[in-house]
Amino acid sequence: MEELRKHAKELLENKTVAAILGYVEVDPKRTRPAVITKPEDASKLVFNEYCLNNLAVYLTKARIKNIAKQNGAVMKLGIVAKPCDIHSVIALIQESQLKREDIHIIGMNCHGVVKDFGMEFSGETLASKCVPCESHKPLYHDIVLGEEKQTPSVSDEVLAKIQAIEKMTYEERFEYFKNEFDKCIKCYACRAACPLCYCQRCITDKTIPRWIESSPHSRGNFSWNVVRAFHLSGRCIGCGECERACPMDIPLSLLNRKMAETAKEAYAYVSGRSLETPTLVGSYDVKDSDELFM
Amino acid sequence: MKIGVFICHCGENIGRTVDCPRVAKACEWLPGVDVSLDYKYMCSDPGQNMIKDEIRKRKLDAIVVGSCSPHMHEKTFRKAAVDAGINPFLVEIANLREHCSWVHDDIDSSTDKAIDLVRMAVEKVKRNVPLTTIEVPVTKRTLVIGGGIAGIQAALDVANAGYEVVLVEKEPSIGGHMSQLSETFPTLDCSQCILTPRMVEVYQHPRIKLMTYSEVEKVEGFIGNFTVTIRKKARHIDEDKCTGCGLCITKCPTKKKAFNSFEEDLAYRPAVYVPFPQAVPNIPVIDETICMYYKNGKCGMCVKVCGREAIDFHQQDKIVTEEIGAIIVATGYKLYKIDKKPDDSPIKGYGEYGYGKYKDVVDGLQFERIASASGPTSGEFKRPSDGKEPKKVVFIQCVGSRDESKGFSYCSKICCMYTAKHAMLYKHKVHDGEAYVFYMDIRSGGKMYDEFVRRAIEEDGVKYIRGRVSRIYEKDGKYIVRGEDTIAGMPVEIDADMVVLATAMIAQQDASELAQTIGIPYDKYGFYNEAHPKLRPIESTTGGVFLAGACQSPKDIPESVAMASAAAAKALVLFGSDKLEREPVVAYVNESLCAGCFYCKKVCPYGAVEVKEVKDRNGVVYKEVAYVNTGLCQGCGTCTATCPSKSVELAGFNNEEIFAQIAAL
Repeated sequence: MEELRKHAKELLENKTVAAILGYVEVDPKRTRPAVITKPEDASKLVFNEYCLNNLAVYLTKARIKNIAKQNGAVMKLGIVAKPCDIHSVIALIQESQLKREDIHIIGMNCHGVVKDFGMEFSGETLASKCVPCESHKPLYHDIVLGEEKQTPSVSDEVLAKIQAIEKMTYEERFEYFKNEFDKCIKCYACRAACPLCYCQRCITDKTIPRWIESSPHSRGNFSWNVVRAFHLSGRCIGCGECERACPMDIPLSLLNRKMAETAKEAYAYVSGRSLETPTLVGSYDVKDSDELFM
Repeated sequence: MKIGVFICHCGENIGRTVDCPRVAKACEWLPGVDVSLDYKYMCSDPGQNMIKDEIRKRKLDAIVVGSCSPHMHEKTFRKAAVDAGINPFLVEIANLREHCSWVHDDIDSSTDKAIDLVRMAVEKVKRNVPLTTIEVPVTKRTLVIGGGIAGIQAALDVANAGYEVVLVEKEPSIGGHMSQLSETFPTLDCSQCILTPRMVEVYQHPRIKLMTYSEVEKVEGFIGNFTVTIRKKARHIDEDKCTGCGLCITKCPTKKKAFNSFEEDLAYRPAVYVPFPQAVPNIPVIDETICMYYKNGKCGMCVKVCGREAIDFHQQDKIVTEEIGAIIVATGYKLYKIDKKPDDSPIKGYGEYGYGKYKDVVDGLQFERIASASGPTSGEFKRPSDGKEPKKVVFIQCVGSRDESKGFSYCSKICCMYTAKHAMLYKHKVHDGEAYVFYMDIRSGGKMYDEFVRRAIEEDGVKYIRGRVSRIYEKDGKYIVRGEDTIAGMPVEIDADMVVLATAMIAQQDASELAQTIGIPYDKYGFYNEAHPKLRPIESTTGGVFLAGACQSPKDIPESVAMASAAAAKALVLFGSDKLEREPVVAYVNESLCAGCFYCKKVCPYGAVEVKEVKDRNGVVYKEVAYVNTGLCQGCGTCTATCPSKSVELAGFNNEEIFAQIAAL
């Protein structure tokens, strides 16, 4: 923690970065995102198992971007990032939303976070996205901080649920998702929390014509939730922020995880892992499998 | 808005399965429709006049024609609309033929469907926006890919009409397969004698830029405005200095020689070589894979003997770009080989004929080389294994062709003729020899063709046996050919000295890769697809790309030459005007909504999407958005489908129009 604060202070003092997106403590078992612009505030930064937010979502927000614009030049933005958050940053760079040279990545070694604030960190309270996680060290970074610790190993409940759904008939599956989506209140918190939902005008908000129905009816519920999933297929890096943001507890990670696994099986592609690989959506190889096309 | 609806019976094509008067009557009541009529042939002169009269009389704003596919007559009806004073893009076609009458048989339900289709078109046309056509310039230069007889003919025709041609050939010399042939049917004139003067004409033509040993790497742009990237492979010999004396070839001491592919592997060549003595250009190539200089840095004999200092071991491949208006693809064919194929290959080899392990079981092109005066045997009939004169030769037709189990169901078309020619040539030189031909059917349609086959049978005594050969095997220095005579209804066994297989003509190995480079469709065999099998056999479906010769399907020389001249004529039609009119169906970006993810740029097959910087009032770039170059956009709509926020629209098919069309259903 001390080295993080020291590094952040140096960055701000040397004017290497205009601001640092990081976490500050609310109480010992709760943090909140913060934008640190003054060197003296660097001492407020923390990093622990309660740093749940994926801060990459802020990188594309106009207000944050404007902080980096000073005297007509673009300064760097610093971000305190878990390895999974870095995957989001990579996906954003691949989709032309960021430039690598504009971002200073403070990569944190990570052994998992809790499901929710206030919980004691243990195998039982480990966030479900952390259970199958293989990247405990930052892939791309400007500095790596934090100690390396063992992630508690627990059974993969999301995977078990996916396998259970795969055993269902199409009718049963439809019924299952219909019931889940019926809870949706269209608050679009999932969209707001997603780092990859950076469109200036979401297709759901397009009204002339309205392609995506927004009624509180099964049709509208399916329209939104299926379009959200489709628009993230081959792109979602699995940070799980949509599900955490959902006030109605819709299990969005089931869809996200299944899509990511399909992309991996069919095209050996995992989103947000490499700046050199072309994105799955928008690239074509003659050898690509066409199994998934109807 | 006043809309006119016109329902065509298309003779009986639509009228048989769609109750056209009922459709017209039902559409009268659609909101916005002022008049709804039906007629037997709407595309005919009276039909068109009916449309024009109604537009003028009723002051219509837009029309919907329920007829055949827009592919067929959209232009016709647009022209009629323009004549009567309305914008051509306020014409919608409801496809009542291909989408309705031809695919259904119940008259009631297909009539209901026809009404739905018209209603959808009416809703769309209400939202259509008048558009104006885009004019683009035409680069009056032609690229011909492939320097066989088709490519040569096309290049000469275009160049002689006064336009520049770039002729690209993969091999070190032009001439193609025709230069390998001994004599040609049905006149038996020498192939080289009629071809080589053409090759020289190409070489000396002031308007033909000949690029041999070169390959097309990239094709960008569109009709009239292609930019083509060509890789000129390193010959390791300076083309400007070399005089073609051939001293380097005769002195080359390479011990481990390579098969001479021009001689169909029946002879060897040194590391520095020209494919054949009459090659054009007569400039050798150094084969890096066997040249001793590249192995151990020694030798350099060619450098010592070359008086012109033309040898350049360090020459690199050159990348050349050319501005082109029309492309003629004349890449030809290759012959199927009977050797064992990988298990997962859709094409199979012939185990029953020995998978190519018998030296004296040769294919048609190998036989051409044996029969050719310039071939490895100087035209004397000697079999490859021991050089003896074969006294009994069996010719087998349809090896691969018309054989689904081997991967090809088509007829290679030329084998009936060239087998008759082969047998005839053999009999002319080996008077005491016996020639047998196993055939399935004799397909000899063409001027003087059947007479030619009859001559082989009747005058030259070639014995034709109708039936297939089930097996060839070696026994006591003979090849036992076991087959069936289906006319006599009994098995036959011939102890041959040599067997000639008329193997299938197949697409070039890299045919599909080249098709993807150029952006033209191809069939499951790798032959290039024409735009219409009857009415547009020369054009590919890509504008400005024309096909010539056997790259489209198996063809003989006269057909290839005819097709090449036709392709040249198509290119010249294109060059007949200085500007091309293009449909304004192009994409445009809503810059205020574009998030700049550039997925549209990644998926655009025409490279039409560019990055545009948006600046604030101080001139500072605050975002980057997609921008569509309307000159390059072909209106395929891939970007509009890809855009996650629907910030790209396609003129003529915008979101509102399409949505209204769907909503009307």
